[in-house]
Order: sequence, then structure tokens, then C-alpha cells
Amino acid sequence: MGILPDEIKPAMQGVIPSHVVTCSRDGTPNASAISQVYYVDPDHVALSHQFFNKTKRNIEENPRAVVWVISPETFEAWDLELEFVRSDTSGPIFDVMEMQIEAIASMVGMKGIFKLRAADIFRVASVRKAVGERIPLAEIPGPR
Amino acid sequence: MIPDRVVEVLHGPAFIQIGSRDEALRPAHTWAVGAMVHDDRQTVTVFVPTARSDRVLRDLQENGRIALGMALVSHESYQLKGTYVSSRPAVDAERARQEAYRAALLASALEAGYPEAIARPLTMGLAYTPAVAITFRAEQVFLQTPGPDAGTLLS
Repeated sequence: MGILPDEIKPAMQGVIPSHVVTCSRDGTPNASAISQVYYVDPDHVALSHQFFNKTKRNIEENPRAVVWVISPETFEAWDLELEFVRSDTSGPIFDVMEMQIEAIASMVGMKGIFKLRAADIFRVASVRKAVGERIPLAEIPGPR
Repeated sequence: MIPDRVVEVLHGPAFIQIGSRDEALRPAHTWAVGAMVHDDRQTVTVFVPTARSDRVLRDLQENGRIALGMALVSHESYQLKGTYVSSRPAVDAERARQEAYRAALLASALEAGYPEAIARPLTMGLAYTPAVAITFRAEQVFLQTPGPDAGTLLS
């Protein structure tokens, strides 16, 4: 039995962008949106590496990251603490993520801009379901 | 100085994320509902739900390093990096600002074509109050819109 609960899977389909925070060796944090946090197995996730950006450089210097994911079905959210394991530029995880990134890009009008360079695999060190950070669905005012 | 366009985006409606880190360089994340750029065009106050503020506040009080990412529904995005100045409970007038901000966020998501069933709970479901007003001094401004120029230093 792994650390990730089954109920988190809908939050990892890329319907709603996730957020990732990393930190450089000199102690500067970086906050960024990410197209997809992909469920690899109950103890691992993959982050889509699409650009040579600060997130990627930070991970090379300091392997820790935190991500925030939210389910498009229940709107429950989770915080995951991650540790970088490896970067895949081919193979089954990369292939599935590449297809999903293309689908996300089409959906959000970013075709030709979103392109998967690597699937960065992380071990999930901890997972915390957010409590008290969302207004319950039943209490959100509807359309007028 | 924060460029005009980045001030506009920060004043919203934008999705705002905040990053901090502890002494062991372990990163932390929270989000904010509403932001205000001060007259000096360098000082920024953001409103972070109290329910999600403990860890980030502890980090900021210990080491002061803060990153703020902001994104429009169109994916136009920027990031500020800076140094923590202060924090205090948000006041009623700021709550009204937050309420206007989240209503505008919903309108922008609907206008962009997000289905009501996702847009409304995503934007109006944020537990925005009570909130902590966190003030910091922005020292660097980066373009973060997805594409080859992401990461460009603007100011």
C-alpha cells in the first residue's frame, strides 16, 4: 500500500492546472503553474517538464518540490511534498504524458506551445488533504 | 519598479500562488485571493486565507524570501520575487476587495469558456476569509507566460 490515496487520481488528470513551488540552492523560492501532475504509482508522481525553466533548474540544485493539486470532481485539494528521482525522455510514462499534454494544449489553446521535453519522476514524501481551505460545494452561491 | 501590465494583472482577476521555504530549503505553497500594489510600485500586499497561512508566514518571518506567481485565465503569467515586510489580519475593506476579486475571477473563467460546473466552485470555493494581509517588497519581476520567453527578467 502506497502513500497516495485513490481519491487523489482525478486531481492528476490535468483538468485544472496544478501549482509547484521549488527552491534554488541560494534559498530563492519559485512558484509556477504546471499542466499536469501525473499519477505514476501509489508512491510516485511525474511532473511535466515543458520548458527549460527555473523549476527545472531548481530541481537540479535542490531535489525538493511541493505541489498543490485539486480535483475537478469534488474540488478537494491536496499538498504533496516531493523528492526528485529521475527524468524520463522516453518510455511508457513519457509516452502517456506526451499524449495527455497534447490533449491539454488543444483544450486550452496552447497547441504548439506545450510540448513535453521530459517526465520528471518524483517520490511522494508526504501527502496532506487540505482541510478548511475550501468553501463546501453546497455553500457556494449558484448562478443568479 | 513593477511594470504597468504586471500591476494590472496583479490587481486582477488573476490566480495568485505564493512560494516560500524554510531553513532547510524545503519549499511551501499557498494561494492568495486579492492583491494590491502600493503607490511606490514596489511594495505589494496580498491576502492569504488564514486557514492556509501558518507555514508560509513562519517561513517568511524566519528568512523573508517570497515568490508570487500570478496567472490570468489566458495563461498570461508573471512572477515576483522579493522580501517579506510585514503581516496583519485583513480588515473589512480588504474583504470587500477580495469579494470583488473572486467575482471577477469567476467572470473571467466563464468568459474564457470554462464550464460553470468547474469555474464557479474553482473560483468561488476559495476559503478567502478570514485572511492575513502579507506585505512584501518586490525586487525582481519575471515573465512566466508559457513559451520560449518564459523566465525573462522584466524588471
